[in-house]
Amino acid sequence: MLNESLSQSESDNPMLHVEDAVKLHILLADDHEIVRRGLCALLQRHDGWEVCGEATDGREAIEMAKRLKPDVVIVDIGMPHLNGLDTTRQLLELDPHFKVIVLTITDSDQVIREALDAGARGFVLKSDAARDLVSAVEALQSKRMFFTPRVNDLVLAGFLEKGHALSRNEPPNLPTLTAREREVTQLLAEGKSSKEVASLLNLSTKTVETHRSNIMRKLSLHSIRDLVVYAIKNNIIQIQMPPQIQRPPETTVA
Amino acid sequence: MAVRILLVDDHPIVRQGLRTLLEGRQGWEVVGEASDGIEAVDKVELLQPDVVVIDITMPRMNGLEACRLIQQSSKVSGLEVLFVTQHDSPQMMRDALNAGARGYVVKSNAARDLLEAVEAVSQHRVFTALARGPQASC
Repeated sequence: MLNESLSQSESDNPMLHVEDAVKLHILLADDHEIVRRGLCALLQRHDGWEVCGEATDGREAIEMAKRLKPDVVIVDIGMPHLNGLDTTRQLLELDPHFKVIVLTITDSDQVIREALDAGARGFVLKSDAARDLVSAVEALQSKRMFFTPRVNDLVLAGFLEKGHALSRNEPPNLPTLTAREREVTQLLAEGKSSKEVASLLNLSTKTVETHRSNIMRKLSLHSIRDLVVYAIKNNIIQIQMPPQIQRPPETTVA
Repeated sequence: MAVRILLVDDHPIVRQGLRTLLEGRQGWEVVGEASDGIEAVDKVELLQPDVVVIDITMPRMNGLEACRLIQQSSKVSGLEVLFVTQHDSPQMMRDALNAGARGYVVKSNAARDLLEAVEAVSQHRVFTALARGPQASC
């Protein structure tokens, strides 16, 4: 699956360069290997497409995107260390030409708005990925966008209401965190200590402590518990609650 | 050793990922797929697989209920059920074994544990692995 580098004999062959140049290179970022395998199998079946790299979290995706220069990046929204929305923001800050498709388990209004605000050009529900993902990549390949019908409805509603394509119904009610502060927020909300955050972000523990104080002050939060709640409410981290399974009644042996 | 496998999960992309993993093993064949428990019960009777790899949380009928029905069916003998689920919970694992399953693997670790688990249950050995690591026994 991973095609990060060419061997010497391959790099000497001009035909391979030509073929490589016309291929659409796709970078996949999802923390679940089984999902990545499924997505890879789906995408590799398409002529002229190649999955050039697989990342297991947002930070790795950004590093790989810098190196591999993919044409399309597919990011899961709920990844550890750096979520898909912040990954999208950072990728587009790095290079506005990156085309990002966000994969999500929910298409709530808030998630849709955040994905659009982050600059995603495609939005696909994970449950519909087998049906929609190829169409989404094809759309981006043709310089179009791809959204689920619900996203289209929301964008249209915003257009009709406000006279432009995308509008926000309500002003942001919380102070804006910087990209670095959002990264720190996610890592702290995932349960990492300041020392662990410092190590992951190549910062000093003191700098992380300063970010942490600034975050708590900006958001008027008083504890890590408050921070976790904020992170969940604002899609910085996502939690999946396993649905209740009905168990059969206990049987007793006479 | 040839093993005929039925895959049951409501997410097609997960089924595709599991299929890719399983079909990499020589002699193993994915003979069918189902997207919920009801379909799984029907396909077990139709396809007579050796191993059913099944999710727990699915629409219409969950995997535990399907497992009980499959095991109660007199038409199926020697078949083993292996759960691949997001529930990283000892209680859920006990429920799965009580329902008649021979194996239990957490989805996030499926790439690590699934092949070993299928091999074990196809030889009628128990294989259970929560996120911290596998425990196989005879």
